[in-house]
Amino acid sequence: MAGTLFKAAWRESRGSLARLAFLVLCLALGTAAVSGVGSLSAAIEGGLRAQARELLGADLSIESRREIPRRAEELVAELGAARSTTTKNLATMASRGGRSRLVDLKAVGPGFPFHGRIVLDPPREPGTLADDECAVAPEVLEQLGARLGEELRIGEQAYTIVSVVREEPGRLDFSFTLGPRVLVGLAGLEAARLEGFGRRVVERRLWAFDEDPGAERLERLARRLRDELPDAAYLRVETARDAQPALRRSIERVEDWLALVALLSLCLGGAGVAQLVHSHIDARAGAIAVQRALGLRPREVLQVQLLHVALLALLSSALGALVGAAIPFALPKLLSGVLPEALALRFDPWAPLSAIAVGVLVALLFALPPVLAAWRVPPARALRHEAEPLPAPRLLRLASWALLAIGLLLVARWQGGGWRNAFAFAGALVGLSACLWAGAKGLIALARAVPRRDLPPLLLHGVAALARPGRGTAGAVVALGIGVLVVAGTSLVERRMSSYLANALPPDAPSAFFVDVQPDQREDLERTLVEQGAGSVRAAPIVTARLAKIDGRPVAEIAAERKGDSGVDRELWVLTREQRLTFGATLPNDNEIVEGALWTDPARAEVSIEERYAEDLGARLGSVLTMDVQGLQFDLLVSSIRKVRWESFGINFFLQVEPGVLESAPHQVLVAARLPSQREEAIEAEVALEHPNITAIRVRPLLEKALDLLSRLAVGVRVLGLFVVLVGIAILAGVVGTQASRRAKEVGLLKALGCTRGEVVLLVALEHALQGAVAGALGGAAAFGVAQVVLEGALAIPAELPWAWLPVVPPCAALLAAGAGLAGSWRALRTAPVEALRG
Amino acid sequence: MQATEASTPRIAAKGLSKRLASGSTMLQILDDVSLAIAPGETVAIVGPSGSGKSTLLALLAGLDRPSAGVVEVDGRRIDDLDEDQLALLRRAKVGFVFQSFQLLPNLTALENVLLPLELAKKPGARARDEHLLRATGLGERMHHYPSQLSGGEQQRVALARAFGPAPSILYADEPTGNLDATTGAQVLALLEELRAKEGATLVLVTHDKDVAARADRRIHLRAGRVERIESGRA
Repeated sequence: MAGTLFKAAWRESRGSLARLAFLVLCLALGTAAVSGVGSLSAAIEGGLRAQARELLGADLSIESRREIPRRAEELVAELGAARSTTTKNLATMASRGGRSRLVDLKAVGPGFPFHGRIVLDPPREPGTLADDECAVAPEVLEQLGARLGEELRIGEQAYTIVSVVREEPGRLDFSFTLGPRVLVGLAGLEAARLEGFGRRVVERRLWAFDEDPGAERLERLARRLRDELPDAAYLRVETARDAQPALRRSIERVEDWLALVALLSLCLGGAGVAQLVHSHIDARAGAIAVQRALGLRPREVLQVQLLHVALLALLSSALGALVGAAIPFALPKLLSGVLPEALALRFDPWAPLSAIAVGVLVALLFALPPVLAAWRVPPARALRHEAEPLPAPRLLRLASWALLAIGLLLVARWQGGGWRNAFAFAGALVGLSACLWAGAKGLIALARAVPRRDLPPLLLHGVAALARPGRGTAGAVVALGIGVLVVAGTSLVERRMSSYLANALPPDAPSAFFVDVQPDQREDLERTLVEQGAGSVRAAPIVTARLAKIDGRPVAEIAAERKGDSGVDRELWVLTREQRLTFGATLPNDNEIVEGALWTDPARAEVSIEERYAEDLGARLGSVLTMDVQGLQFDLLVSSIRKVRWESFGINFFLQVEPGVLESAPHQVLVAARLPSQREEAIEAEVALEHPNITAIRVRPLLEKALDLLSRLAVGVRVLGLFVVLVGIAILAGVVGTQASRRAKEVGLLKALGCTRGEVVLLVALEHALQGAVAGALGGAAAFGVAQVVLEGALAIPAELPWAWLPVVPPCAALLAAGAGLAGSWRALRTAPVEALRG
Repeated sequence: MQATEASTPRIAAKGLSKRLASGSTMLQILDDVSLAIAPGETVAIVGPSGSGKSTLLALLAGLDRPSAGVVEVDGRRIDDLDEDQLALLRRAKVGFVFQSFQLLPNLTALENVLLPLELAKKPGARARDEHLLRATGLGERMHHYPSQLSGGEQQRVALARAFGPAPSILYADEPTGNLDATTGAQVLALLEELRAKEGATLVLVTHDKDVAARADRRIHLRAGRVERIESGRA
């Protein structure tokens, strides 16, 4: 029986080669949309990860002021990390002749960094620095009046300055910077004998994998390290993803966007497939009636048709997967940087295979309800075209929809984003389809109610085509509407996303930080900077402290308790690290209070805390944090929780204390400013001359790197958005075209009745334009609604939608539908009137 | 009614041939057919399957082009007109009744009937067509779609559509072929009644001897050639 079915399904494919080729091409577009978006977004995600790895210098790192446990090494090795190295940081004094200053000494082991590079001038491998060699930031040379080849003394070792540090991977987090960089080898650090008692050396162990381990695997590994390592509360476990708090939100948004586009492409492909199969079954009704008349049971007809669709889907998906897989290859120039070459050009044999599997699955799922129409074809139709369609069993109809819903959920889950997103997506799709369906039905009823008697014949024909009963007009309008929704929705979100990314870095982001400023130097420094033409000068006091208790419970106790609780995925390290507090009456502009209010209780010392940090600490509004500032304990009441736009690159703190509490505690001031790029060095020299203890840290290179990454992300988002829009338009055109290609009979008849070719063309165009306009109105309204919800809700970007464009959507959709209808009817339009005689 | 040599025939064919390629061979569908049909005459084209009846009808009606020969309507050659000129000619002078009714499924019965009139921009079309529909017994169903009508009803709508613009020529291709005997007879009676009232020339293709017997002349085709022509109602 299976052989017979297969033979029958195969024979179905032999009918009309041209029609089937068109169907396969359209199906391939649908599956290419799903698999192409998959491979594009995988490539962009991979590219993002590669960039993030460069910022960390490795895939994974553990940082601690204590010794890093051996177990860490074993755990990471178990998961296949191939290389590891160590860096050590400490703040210390460097001197030359009579001059000395605080520097940030970094000792690097061989191999560091694994990703990205440290640029030394003249070029050297940092790991090959001899015991008595060092490389220094340009600021060190300026402030100590030193030159290359001269000597610099740190601790008990004299180093020869062999290179200048031009660029190094690093976090864009300057409140922890202690001074300008001095780079030595690990053995060189040992020779300085600085690592004795009381020295605050921060050790960092870094690992790299040969193959990109992927974000999820790294996150799992980091979680395991946090759970299993002794002393985890004193270890900072970081993956490449955590490296850049300032960029993290943007990257997260792009990841959300990629997931959304993947889901939208699924819905687009699915709607296209459903409509194409619907048209296909409609066109095959005559042949199916003959099969039924010859004795095939409805079940067998259904099986033959499903098998036939599966064969076509297999062919189309293979084509679609090829196109999808070729996309990252086709765009290397546009996406260079976003797509690292190695990743983009690597051929992964599983990718097309899984794309084919998903393609066939999507095609079959969406084909199920329309294929059921084959059940309804009565055998009597073989004799009489007008024979009444048979009812399909209710159970079968319900089952096909249920299967579609379940399958949709599974594929949505597979596309990424977790079960919650999958449910939300499937629910939204069902809801939107229902709205579109209701809207389409309403408009059809309206078209029926419009008095047609006074309409000119061409318009009458168009309106009549909308109002025609029982011919799946509502289904076609819904499919078109979903297409319009995806195309318009994607371009709305893409447009906002890419402009948001392009402007994520404010033009006045600071280009230099001044550290180690004493409180009495602050005003003077600020004045000097303003006089020299610097903009956006901002200053904030910094008090270093340790967190002693939360709501009266010692942090060590809280850390020990949390470690055992696998359900809590919070950083333990934040409890034990050195905290940096600031104080002041007002918050910077890039802060927004989300809970509570500033300084409400005159009787208590209050603190405002950053949202995520509060989560990590486990603190809420009303919690009391006990801070230890150099032996003195302060109780601080959490009276407000705020959101910080870290991407502003301004000076921001997790903890801001109200004025009048910490002023007398020992503190320094951090000053940030935007320096005119031509005069950066001159201004720094001026500051160094006036205040030798102050260090300027130039962040322009890092800023430019971040800007570069963001603009590449914007390009990636735009390319992906355009891809979906173009494929969407092609699918829409395909859907309209397939419907239109079945119009030969009508065209022949109209010509026989005396319609000229021009009138027939106008008639077909108008009919499709009206359908397109209705779908455009419904889909366009839905697209604006969805874009608003996605932008404001999921992506947390002010939507600022161009509402004025909403009325433009229906005419655009009408034009597209008319064009596609004419293109699809091209052969039909050439039908000779004599065809009318052939029934 | 007989054609007279003196008056210009409504339809004339001279040496009509139609050849079609079938694979590497050429099929001769019609071979050197000549005839003349007078205004108001009813002519039946009869013959076995494959004799070329429908092809001859298509060539006379300007739905198809001959491989050789000339077709004239009211003394004017139509075989050298382009498609649009032919369409305008059909719009002005020709009505059709098809075996499979050929109603546009988008349009209601009344709208189907109105379509040729509206294309021809004839004033007062609506009143005339409503009248025609009533005359065909479809007054109650004029707002139904074709899929909601029986075969006989659909053919009656097709008749109303054909007569709507008051054509001078009516072509009917097996008008009762898809109907049962009783409905077929009713439709035929209606066709004759309307034709007589409108004074149109009727050319019909049929298998049915009884139908053919009602015509003024019967042109018998065999293998693409005119075998014989019978005159007078049988």
